[in-house]
This record gives sequence, structure tokens and C-alpha cells, in this order.
Amino acid sequence: MPSVQAGYAPNLGVFLKALKTQQLEASIEHLISLLKRRQIRNSRPCAIATAHLLLRVVARFKWTDIGKLLQRIQEVGQRLVEAQPKEMVVGNIVRRVLGMIRDEAKEDRSEDMSDTASITQIDSPQRETSDPAPLRTIGVSTATASPLRFGASNAPGSTDTDSDDGSARTPQGGHRPPLMTSHTSYAVLNGLPVQQSMFNLLSATPSPLSTPPQQIDSPQAGSGINAASVAQRVAASSKDLKAEVISGIEEIIDELDQVDDQMAGYAQEHIHSNEVILTHSSSTSVQKFLLKAAEKRKFTVIVAESYPNDHQATHAAVTGSVAPDLGSSEDTSLEMFLKPLTAAGITVVLTTDAAIFAIMSRVNKVILATHAVIANGGLIAAAGARIIAKAAKVHKIPVIVVSGVYKLSPEYPFEFESLIEYGDPGRIVKYHDGNLVDNLEIDNPLYDYVPPDLVDLYITNLGAHAPSYLYRIVADHYKPEDINFHKPELQF
Amino acid sequence: MASPSSATVEPAGPNPSTKPTQPESAAPRLSGAELKKQKQAEKAARRAQTIQEKQAGVPPAAQKVKSDTTTGAKTQQKRPSSAAAPRDLPVRSQRPAAAATPEAPKKEDKTVELFRHLYKPRVTSIAGAGKDVHPAVLALGLQMSSYTICGSCARLVATLQAFKKVIESYATPPGNTLTRHLTSHVLSPQIEYLAACRPLSISMGNAIRWLKLEISKVDIDVPDAEAKKGLCDAIDVFIRERVTFADQVIASSAVEKIKDGDVILTYAKSSVIQRTLMTAHQEGRKFRVIVVDSRPLHEGKHLAAALVGIGIEVKYCLINGLSHNIQDATKVLLGAHAMMSNGRLFSRIGTALVAMEANEADKPVLVLCETIKFTERVALDSIVHNEIAPADELVIPGGPLEKWGDVKKLQLCNLMYDVTPAEYIQMIVTESGNVPPTSVPVLHRLGNESQG
Repeated sequence: MPSVQAGYAPNLGVFLKALKTQQLEASIEHLISLLKRRQIRNSRPCAIATAHLLLRVVARFKWTDIGKLLQRIQEVGQRLVEAQPKEMVVGNIVRRVLGMIRDEAKEDRSEDMSDTASITQIDSPQRETSDPAPLRTIGVSTATASPLRFGASNAPGSTDTDSDDGSARTPQGGHRPPLMTSHTSYAVLNGLPVQQSMFNLLSATPSPLSTPPQQIDSPQAGSGINAASVAQRVAASSKDLKAEVISGIEEIIDELDQVDDQMAGYAQEHIHSNEVILTHSSSTSVQKFLLKAAEKRKFTVIVAESYPNDHQATHAAVTGSVAPDLGSSEDTSLEMFLKPLTAAGITVVLTTDAAIFAIMSRVNKVILATHAVIANGGLIAAAGARIIAKAAKVHKIPVIVVSGVYKLSPEYPFEFESLIEYGDPGRIVKYHDGNLVDNLEIDNPLYDYVPPDLVDLYITNLGAHAPSYLYRIVADHYKPEDINFHKPELQF
Repeated sequence: MASPSSATVEPAGPNPSTKPTQPESAAPRLSGAELKKQKQAEKAARRAQTIQEKQAGVPPAAQKVKSDTTTGAKTQQKRPSSAAAPRDLPVRSQRPAAAATPEAPKKEDKTVELFRHLYKPRVTSIAGAGKDVHPAVLALGLQMSSYTICGSCARLVATLQAFKKVIESYATPPGNTLTRHLTSHVLSPQIEYLAACRPLSISMGNAIRWLKLEISKVDIDVPDAEAKKGLCDAIDVFIRERVTFADQVIASSAVEKIKDGDVILTYAKSSVIQRTLMTAHQEGRKFRVIVVDSRPLHEGKHLAAALVGIGIEVKYCLINGLSHNIQDATKVLLGAHAMMSNGRLFSRIGTALVAMEANEADKPVLVLCETIKFTERVALDSIVHNEIAPADELVIPGGPLEKWGDVKKLQLCNLMYDVTPAEYIQMIVTESGNVPPTSVPVLHRLGNESQG
């Protein structure tokens, strides 16, 4: 499926270009392969790529109903997350899109409520199960047909992964009863639908669309009504809804573009003149933040170089040059337009990671960039961030984390080690050092988990927050039913 | 309300009335102050004049410039000293100085302000060395500045060996005695040269102090050859007692702390730790080692290579992977550059981070340190007393940092040591026993008393 040319594409820019011409499925495979090969890495490029891809998925999607659309996005999102589970922003963006569609649909439905009531009686030929068992029927149908409340059932979603585009694109799935049967049986095997149906039954009853009792024994079953109503409504308003969803995704893309500038807007509230600020590795967000503060104030920035993995980017950032091997990647092409801090009149002191403790006693503030933020207020950042935060704690120096809301992930793993990605040991001991390579175990973690008690303040594009408040922002941005969209076994 | 308002009015009332009187009353006062100032200015001017007159023999033009530019007495006072340096035509010499100022800050720019007191140009060639410097010391100096000989103990031993050669090749000039001549005329230039190559380590300072004392104790009547032999023997004994045997004792007592199944985490490289781990392995203890390392010296790599060579299971990571590995460790062994009198450990940069993480993870931190490294100095932070290595050592060949010198306001900071707080250290293993950090001054005093 993926086009051969896709293999040549090394980065985000090429991917975005190819997205315009490629087949949708090819684009998905393309992004998956880029993620797997780590040719797109770091939060922002991953987020942008995901958002653009989802935009196209929505644009290309032939509308039957909202449930199908959600299912489709979940399915694409699932594949992307599986391709690179450590890039948590991918999942975040998918969740944002899902939540946004749910919101749009909800609005839509509340508007259309009166209309749909009348439409319910109209024939409902689409989508049916040949399975006569009423419980199962209801289970599957509610699961698929009332996604507005509880997310499309994941069981069909997971089988869809294989059949994919074809089935999703065929309008009015009712013509394909065998497929639906397979879904049901699969779902039943998993033991999921019973649970789900119980859950949905309870919650579906108060719904204004709840099935009138006499309809249940009709051959089309209770499902038909919901599905039919939704489909009808969608048919009526699909144009608007589609446009709204697309503009919603575009808003997310805009947010990704502006997030750094929005965060930089708070810079002058947090940095006073003559401060000594310690930061770590290279980050566009932090650089913009400091540059903004430098417009009004003079201060000193100490940069720890984050040696084996990120030092070249750091060195390039402080000298204002473009690292040779990163020159082609999107991250630095963005940074190319950023002037180095020194050009803004800030004194920059580059030092090794080991010198942090020695120098910390003279530092006023620590500003960290992050890879991802998790719901408990902890963060995943470049390796070495934890000892910096800890050293700051020991010296009672405030630690500020600058992070866009898009990096905020609702995931909360029990084992933080599972979030840590390990990098190329060849960066620590070169491969030509044969004896050592053979006998030495070499450890090169890319990320550190920094617990929330080491962080004093988060600055996001929404403002400054205490780490303990982050869970509220998570709740504002993601729907609870989407949190585990990529892990069907954890849903509900 | 009325009373405060009246109160405010009252002072306002008299004020205008006093205003005319103020200048009158203030005039004499002011004039008094002015008088003082005038007197001072006159005095300063006179002084400057006398200085100028003294110099008058040299440049008449300089006088003109000075008298023209005299604005304040203070500048006048300062100027003679600066003008005294250039003998001929100071008018011109002032201009080059002004032209040189834009260059001067450029150079200064590259030193980090916090550590400006620590910068010392490092000698990296024998070009500028005095003719008094012994060839053995010349070679040693270069080895030290290039880190070929690195580490407190290695440098100490190498220095004493080189000094032995200096003493061997020394012949007391006629009319002098060895006791009076050797230290001041022969040893001092050697020490100066070594210090210019790389600042002396604290253990070296201790040893040199001891050697000077030893020389001063030599009897005047003792013949040269005998005295030299005596000194060389004393140096040998010193090295044996304070370093060689001390290392053995420390290693054997530290080995007892290593149990089967232990995971020992260590930072950078220390000769005593290497010895300890190797001894433990030879004694059949089953343990793993995690070596944490850092840029730019990568000393830990040598330790890892040595341990791997004899078959110890070693994991190697850089300091950014420290927090991932500290949980696996059961004990942390650290080497020392010096032990401060307030119980703080002065050691390779990054050691403090390791100790901090170990402390947080509740892992015992053991410092292995010979008593020769104990000092009566104290340290609260890593800034007052430290060593700054040349910044160019941080540059990776071919990397974007290569032209960092051209980037204005960019500075590179390459510290050598840091100070670990005493509360992170559970035990110091020395040849005189295992002590807590609070006992450092006690041991130091005991050691000195036995020495003296």
C-alpha cells in the first residue's frame, strides 16, 4: 500500500508535501513508517503530522454517520499510536480531534433534536445485523449507533483495521450483513459487548433518541432507529458538520503553530532583569520564551548541553548555526528563523551536564522544555532533566516547565519506565571501539521522568498552572471516553 | 484630621520663612564642606604636580596632556601610575590603549563572570619555561596539562618522583647550604612551572609542604650527597606510606563492604576504586558495576575498560542516564580529589549529582580517600575554590561549536570539580579507618601532628 516514493521522504516537510498528492491510505502508511523509523520525531513535528493526516482522513471520509467517522479516526489513530507509542502527542492529537467531533455532533444533535424525532419513523434500511439474539443486537447496534455518548465500540474498530478503507467508505453498511456478523461474533468472543450493552442500555435510556418499545421486535431492531436517525440527520447536515469538523482540525493546527508565541507572551511575567536562568538541551519553545523576555530585560542563560543525544542541536542553537546532520529536519528549519539568544543581548553560558550541581547555587530559575506532560503533573523530558530538577529542588530554586497544552497527555502509566525511550548506544561508545562494544552494557536513555513534586510551575499557552492543577486541563481537553481509544482492552 | 493638617501646614509655613535663611545658614556650612573639598583638591593637585615634576625629566608632552585633562583630583592621582608605564610619548600610547579597548572586552567576554577569579592561562608548551626548570618537571608539566597524568594521586606521585630527580641532580653552589638554597632557588621554579601547567592539586600542596619541611630539617653540617640521599629516601617512604600502602589498606577495607550480589555505582575514575573493585573480583565476590561518566574527560571509560578486561560485568552510562541507573545500585563508591575540613567532598565535576541522587534513592555513599588528600580548607560551594579548564576542551571537532569564539556573548564553562555536601556522604574510607565526614578535621589534625 505505501507508495515506494514514500521511502525517500525523511521528514515532516516532505510528508506534508506528499500528503497533498498521495492516496489517503498511502499517506497513513507513510506516516506510520516515518514514525517507526523515527524520521519524524519530537513532539511538535509529530503533532503537526498527525493533525494534517487526520484532516485529510476527515476530508476524504464519505459520510454515513458520526459513529463511522469516530470509528475511522480511532482506527487510524490506533495505528499511529501503535507505530510509535512513545510519541504521546500523536495520541493527544487524535483524542483532541475525537473530542472535537463529539462536541460538534452534540451541538448538532441538540439543534436537530426536534427534526430527528419525526425522522425516526422513516425507513431504516441501512446497517443491520443478521444475528437474531436481541441482547447482542442491541449491544452491537448501540455500540455503533450511539457513539455520541460513549464512543464507537472498539471491537468493530479493531477488525476494521484490516478491512479498513473499503468497508469504511462503503456508504450505508447495511448492504454488508456478513461483515457485521463477523463483528458481532468477534465482539462477543471478547466478552465485551455484554458489558458495553449493559452500560449503554442504562445510559441510553434517558436519551431523547431512545427507542420506542414497539420498535424493538421489528426486524430492523432497536438499533435501526438510532442509526437511522443519526444517518438521516447526518445526511441532512453532513455538509455543515464536515465543514465544522474540518475547521476544528484546522484550529488545532493553528494552535500548534501559535503555541510557542502564546507561551512566550507570559515570559516577561516570570523573568526579571539580571537573572541567571538555567535551561537544558534545545527547545524552540524555551528559546522563544527567553527571546521574548530578552526584548525588555537583560539576563544570563546557562545552557546544559544534554550530551550524547541532543548536544549538537544545543550547540547549534547557542551558536546560531544549523547542525549539519539535523539541517534537513523540520525542527531546525523552524529554528533557522529564530535568532540565537546571544543575538538578543543575552549572555549565554554553555556548560556540561555534570556542572549543574556546581553552578546551581547561583541560578535563580530553571526553565525546562518537555517532551510530554502526563496527567499527574509529571513530565517526560530529555534525559538529564530529572537531575537538574532535583538539584534545583535541593538548592530551593524554582523549576518552570514550558509546554504547550498539546503535549499534555491524559495517560497515566503505573510504571514510568514504560514511557522512557532508549537511544543509540553508539553515541556513547563508538562502534569502532570493539572491545568495549562487545563487553560493556551501555545505557542511553533519551528521556527522563520528572515527578511533579520537582516542578514548581507549568507555563502553557493557557497561562501558568501549578502541577497539581494539570489534571483539570486534561479534563477540559479530552473526553473521558477517548482516553484509552488506542487500547480497546482498557476501554470502560 | 485638623491637627495633622495643621501640622502639615505648620512646617510648610516656616519652610518658606526659613528658605531665605537657609542659604545664609547653609552658605557657611556648604562653604566649609567646599573648603574641605577645595583643600583636598589642592592637596591632590599638589601631589600630582610633584609626581609630574619627578617625571618631568621624561616627557614634557605628558605634562601638557595631564594638565589639560585634569578634571578631578582622583583621576589625576590615578593617572601618573598608568602614564608612568609608557616612557616615550604617552600621548600616542594612550591612543593605542583606547583602540585596544574594543579588543580587550572581546577577550574578557569569554570568561564566565561567576568564575572570573579562577581563570588562569594554562601553559601547554615548554616554550616559556624558565631555564631553571628540570627536564623531568618540564615533561611532567606537559603530561599534566594534557591530562596524560590525571588524578590527584597520580599527579602527587609523579611530582614527587620528578622532584626526586631534581634533588638528585642538585649540587649546592659554593657559599650556600642545601637547607637554605634548595627550596627557594631550585624547588620554587619547578613548583611554579607545574602550577602554571595545571593548578596544583590539594594533595600535591600537602606533599610539597611536607617536602619543604623535610628539607628545612636537614642538618647544615651533613654533606651534600648524604643529605640528598636522605631526602630521596624520605620521598620514597612518603610515597609508600601515604599512597601505596594507604591504597592497599583502603582497598582491603572497602572490599569488605562489597557483598555478593551488590551493584556498585561509581563515577568517573579513581585509582583506589579501580583497585578496590579489582581486588573484590579477585577475592571471588559476585557483583556488578555501573560506571557513570561525563564529558569532556570521559575518565570512566578507562575504568570501565579495565574492569571489563578482567571480566567484571559493567554497565556504562553518561550522567544524563544517572537517574535511571541509581535505582539498580546498592552502594555508591566515590573517589576524591580532596576532603574539606567541613566534611565536604571536593571531587570531579558531577560527583555531587551522583551523591545527591544516591541520597534521594537511599543508597549508601562511600568515599574512598587517602588522608594525604585531607585539607584544612573549607568549602561551601563549588565556585569560590575550583579549577577552570580551557573552554576549548568542550568543543567537539566538526561540531557547530567550533567557531564559538566568533559568537558574541557566548561563553563556555568547563569546570573541573564540584563540592558534595557532607550530608550526602555516609562514610569515608581512609587508611586510618572508616570515619564519618564530621571526622575529617580530626583525622587531618592527627595526621599533621604525627607528621610534625
